[in-house]
Amino acid sequence: MQEFIQTVVNGLQTGCLYALLALGYTMVYGVLKLLNFAHGDVYMVGAYIGYYVIHWFGGPTALTIPVPLLILIMFALAAGGCGLLGMAMERFAYRPLRDAPRIAPLITALGISFVLENSVLLLFGGFTKSYSTPSFISATNGIQVGGVSIDSVEILIIVVSVVMMLGLRQLVNRTTLGKSMRAVAADREAAEMLGINVNRTIALTFFIGSAMAGVAGVMSGLAFNQISNTIGFLAGLKAFTAAVVGGIGSIPGAMIGGIFIGLSESFSASYISSQYTDLIVFGILIATMLIRPQGIFGRPPLQKV
Amino acid sequence: MKRIITLAVGLAALTAAGCGSSSSTTGTKSAITGKGCATSIAIEGPFTGPVAQLGLEQLHFAELAVANDNAANKTDVTLDQDDTQLTPSIAVSKTDAIVASSAVAAVGPAGSQEVEAVGPIFGKAGIAFISGSATLPALASSGKNPTFFRVVPDDDVQGPQDANYVINHLHPKAVLIIDDDEAYSQGLVKVMTPILQKAGIKVNHQTYNGTDTGATLANALSSLVTSQLNSSETVTMLPWQTAANAQQFGLDAQQQHKKTILFGTDGTDSPTQFKIPGTYVSNFGPDISTSTNPLDKSIVSGVAKYGPYGAFGVPTYEATDVVMKAISSVCKAGQTPSRSNVLAAIKKTDIPAADNPMGVAISFQPGGDLTGAPGYLFHINVNGTYVSIANH
Repeated sequence: MQEFIQTVVNGLQTGCLYALLALGYTMVYGVLKLLNFAHGDVYMVGAYIGYYVIHWFGGPTALTIPVPLLILIMFALAAGGCGLLGMAMERFAYRPLRDAPRIAPLITALGISFVLENSVLLLFGGFTKSYSTPSFISATNGIQVGGVSIDSVEILIIVVSVVMMLGLRQLVNRTTLGKSMRAVAADREAAEMLGINVNRTIALTFFIGSAMAGVAGVMSGLAFNQISNTIGFLAGLKAFTAAVVGGIGSIPGAMIGGIFIGLSESFSASYISSQYTDLIVFGILIATMLIRPQGIFGRPPLQKV
Repeated sequence: MKRIITLAVGLAALTAAGCGSSSSTTGTKSAITGKGCATSIAIEGPFTGPVAQLGLEQLHFAELAVANDNAANKTDVTLDQDDTQLTPSIAVSKTDAIVASSAVAAVGPAGSQEVEAVGPIFGKAGIAFISGSATLPALASSGKNPTFFRVVPDDDVQGPQDANYVINHLHPKAVLIIDDDEAYSQGLVKVMTPILQKAGIKVNHQTYNGTDTGATLANALSSLVTSQLNSSETVTMLPWQTAANAQQFGLDAQQQHKKTILFGTDGTDSPTQFKIPGTYVSNFGPDISTSTNPLDKSIVSGVAKYGPYGAFGVPTYEATDVVMKAISSVCKAGQTPSRSNVLAAIKKTDIPAADNPMGVAISFQPGGDLTGAPGYLFHINVNGTYVSIANH
């Protein structure tokens, strides 16, 4: 039973991170019908921002500010920095290609992914960097559930992710910006004719999606300690899988898809072998495309007659 | 027009960022030169990627060896750098480039799986290559790598040493041994498992994908701790190439309150990355950081000019030293260094123990293995410091 609970906790932790990332994929796909393959690298940039915030405040063993304040600053700067990065990507790389064939922005997205990965490599070096989280957050802090200890970082990840996902849902369903986003997703030209500032809406969509990826990057660093310029690629692919499984373009789908992929990964690693996790996760992607291409929460496209 | 200017400014900024950095190494030439006998050699190593820490250590020691030997022997040897990222396919393309270059010999590559991939290419080109870290026994015995040499003991030394230390000093009833799905790791498991089993120890062998990163990697390591680490497995052996992964595994075990003694091998020997107290780490090279030997002291102080000291780089110093001395001997014989005469000179290597930092005489067996290579073992104390275990 303990093993089962621990496996669920492991899966929820990674699943929440995938879900936050998958939301970025799904939001951008919703408004632009673009698969932003650079999104995983935005998450990586967020992890690096968090790392340097720790060092600005004295480093993991000699922090000059309280840990909760540090984490807040890490989240704020990573969200802000990555949000602006996302907006810059949209403005300079995707907007000029908005009316180009769909393959063009897709290839550009792959190009941006490599540019980000290699820019970080050039700027910060190839060394794996460590958050050294246990130096400032004790691994033994936390709660006991069914004989399994859930540490404070795991609790933080799950709580922050759920709050952000619910907040995003509220934003999309209950605010003017959310209404604009839904309108642009439904029909960009019609939305423009109705007076919605499409450029601003798309830019803010990129900001929000990238900000969430930035926060996910910080939480990844806190949970898994090691970061490098390559962490975004695989995480991005997993999040993309989560978005597709949940139904790309669907916000609840991205959330459920992320958690589903995290749990699948965790259970396959615990009960089968960690060698098979990628096989199983990407097998799920293929099976989804074959059986229900629109994903769990997606709707099949309407055919005009 | 405005768009073109914006694009140009963006490109310029990116270029400036790249030019301002000093960490790019791929395909670049060191500024190390001496005088006289002039030629070039290459070094292959993982200078970027997850094990860049170890690769850069190797690079810095190689740079120091080139500088020292150029100065001592009045040679003018330059060092070409080829970043393989510990990936066989990249190593192959870098090796093709070395073959096409004027390099007369090479140092590296770091990983056994890379040597397996590039050995036949170097062999066909008649280029000697000396690894300071590839330990798979078959590399020297298979006959596929005719120009391969190494200055480190192979897994048939390290594996039995580690297994016997566990049997004789840690006395576990069961051992969890996890490989990272790479040739190096699986080779060590293959050597250690029968020794442990023969001593009546139950061995639980698991595998994880060492090329995973981020959340996927963390999930795999955490799941291994959750599902495989039982209370009877008081020792967990991690013959991995990535020290940071071993550190993460140790942290996961602490977080899940699983008590086990970790035992890492040479790939995990990184005092800055793997420092779980109570852990044992074996290595194929000595730690000369506290040595009082004048040569060792000069190497420790000299390498600081290039980067931080790490025990993983010491054998690569010696690998480079062997190549440099071979080139020097060719020049002293009145010849121009070529691939064939440098290879022949390397085969005749005989460096006394007092003249190198490995603490043993350096000479090679016919397959390229070091003659009489010892192993080294360390214990990580409560402060996270590596303490050498003598007479293990």
